[in-house]
Amino acid sequence: MTITTGMAENRREQSRLRSIPISSNVETLSCIAGGGALIALGLARRSWIGWVLAATGGGLVLNALINERRPYQGTVRVGVTIRRSPDDIYEFIRDPENQVKFLEGLELRANADQSMTLAFGRPAGFTLQSDAQITDERPGEYIAWSATPESVQEHSLDHRGVIHFRRAPGDRGTEVAVALDLKAPVGPIGRALASFVGWGPEQMVRESLRRLKQLMEAGEIPTTAGQPSGARGLKGSALRVLYRERNFEQPGESRLAGD
Amino acid sequence: MKALCWQGKEDVRVETVDDPRILNPHDAIIKVTHTAICGSDLHLYDGYMPTMEPGDILGHEFMGEVVELGKAVDNLKVGDRVVVPFTIACGNCNFCKQELWSLCDNTNPNAWLAEKFFGYTPSGLYGYTHMMGGYAGGQAQYVRVPFANVGPLKIESDLNDEQVLFLSDIFPTGYMGAENCDIKPGDVIAIWGCGPVGQFAIRSAFMLGAAKVIAIDRFPERLNLARDANAEILNYDEVDYLVEELKWMTGGRGPDACIDAVGMEAHGHTLPAFYDRAKQSMRLSLDRPTVLREAIQACRKGGTVSIPGVYGGFIDKIPFGAFVNKALTFRTGQTHMMRYMKPLLTRIQNGEIDPSFLITHRLSLDEAPEAYKIFRDKQEQCIKVVMDPWAESKAA
Repeated sequence: MTITTGMAENRREQSRLRSIPISSNVETLSCIAGGGALIALGLARRSWIGWVLAATGGGLVLNALINERRPYQGTVRVGVTIRRSPDDIYEFIRDPENQVKFLEGLELRANADQSMTLAFGRPAGFTLQSDAQITDERPGEYIAWSATPESVQEHSLDHRGVIHFRRAPGDRGTEVAVALDLKAPVGPIGRALASFVGWGPEQMVRESLRRLKQLMEAGEIPTTAGQPSGARGLKGSALRVLYRERNFEQPGESRLAGD
Repeated sequence: MKALCWQGKEDVRVETVDDPRILNPHDAIIKVTHTAICGSDLHLYDGYMPTMEPGDILGHEFMGEVVELGKAVDNLKVGDRVVVPFTIACGNCNFCKQELWSLCDNTNPNAWLAEKFFGYTPSGLYGYTHMMGGYAGGQAQYVRVPFANVGPLKIESDLNDEQVLFLSDIFPTGYMGAENCDIKPGDVIAIWGCGPVGQFAIRSAFMLGAAKVIAIDRFPERLNLARDANAEILNYDEVDYLVEELKWMTGGRGPDACIDAVGMEAHGHTLPAFYDRAKQSMRLSLDRPTVLREAIQACRKGGTVSIPGVYGGFIDKIPFGAFVNKALTFRTGQTHMMRYMKPLLTRIQNGEIDPSFLITHRLSLDEAPEAYKIFRDKQEQCIKVVMDPWAESKAA
């Protein structure tokens, strides 16, 4: 299935997001600091190990100056098939009460002037924010959005995308396809860490679509958060983080009869 | 409550844990009256399955009494006696609608993890790895059952627990293994593995019209149980070349279909079997496909290899040239439980089969750690262990 988003002609326009200033980027600063420390350490040793350390440090500083200043730019394409009609899914998505239930890691707020504000990362302590507007929309067919120019200047986050609804072959329901173009002030190290905890853009879109499918087909999102378990120990707790199983334990007495 | 928790390779312990509670509208809480140990639990016990966590509650063959219901469950009442299938299905995705229940899209909370290994996620399972959902299992006093409006089978007759417990996994698994052979009148079926699933596969093959069933194993008590079902038994320890023996027993044609009811921990004496063991001990390979190789070699041209046996990862040295040039068919998958539970319950009620013949050990949950060892090492002529989570240990 091909998705046309109108993004192709935009690629030729000047990048609206220029390189990231050094001083505001944690990754760049830590690379420079770490690299500098390694250089100093290496030169102080006066042995061949020292040269290796210094070279590594030099590499880190170069990385900071070159790679880390290029913002992340990527395209995300994720599709899912949901056993409901395109109109049903469109209506479900446009309702803010539902958006809260299926959007993974993303907060969405509709503003009075027809724009939306997206916020991401609040639970982790940092927030990436952006204002966007719906640029084109046909109910039951597609919704296209784009970050406002003011928001791009202010928050250094540029994104535009489209979500398509198309009848799936046979009686399989609807093919829901999301295509997203993204520029964010995150360097390679930050991207790797984000992917590791499941916060890469493709992962978030995929999980959001998965939750949407679960809500619309099964009526609930499957979970094991809050189920009983034996002693987890250090290894078990580490694995819970690795397998991205967020843990909430609610205090309360057993509600079982017939004990 | 008490629950059996996995703590590492060959380390399962009865621990006191929180009681389960309703987490989603389609949940139910079941008080477990009887639960069994499955052969696939042994793969967890032996530490072969990746994505387990210390503290996981095991057990996917269980039945009991409904004690609490979520808001959206309207087909059950508190007090109902139910047998719970080991797979969890939502009932509304494309796969559930096609009755491919073990392929449900919507019941694995760790779907992303399964997709890394398999490409797409199958349904969630009780008491198994986190790749399959990491749901707390039923070797415990209580268990949370998601989508209780889809899975659990209500038992309204006066059949006792031992007669219906195996509808939770092994009877439908053996039956689907036999059904996947597309048995036609006159067919000869060869079944590797006379453990619980194999025993049900033998009986199911006859139910489905097989003319002859050849049962392959090496433990006398299991072969005797197979002979009780009118199978011709074959002890592979007493035979030089299994494939040649099967050719002899089938008029030179080979069995029309072969069932692998053994899976990834197959035992063998041959050179490839030693190679499998060596690779597995170095963690270079997960599975030992001895039986799969034999089944492909032995099967007649144009036949079917039906695989209810569980495999986890990648396998080595499979005679795929034989598979292709003999035009064989693989039929496999986790059991599509909801398809079979009602029809098989009817067969039990009609007296066609009494599944309790299989049980050799009846123990309390406290004795589970020893029970796993006995079951795995086939000590005390063990074939199937059934546990009562509420019984006091006899040793206490």
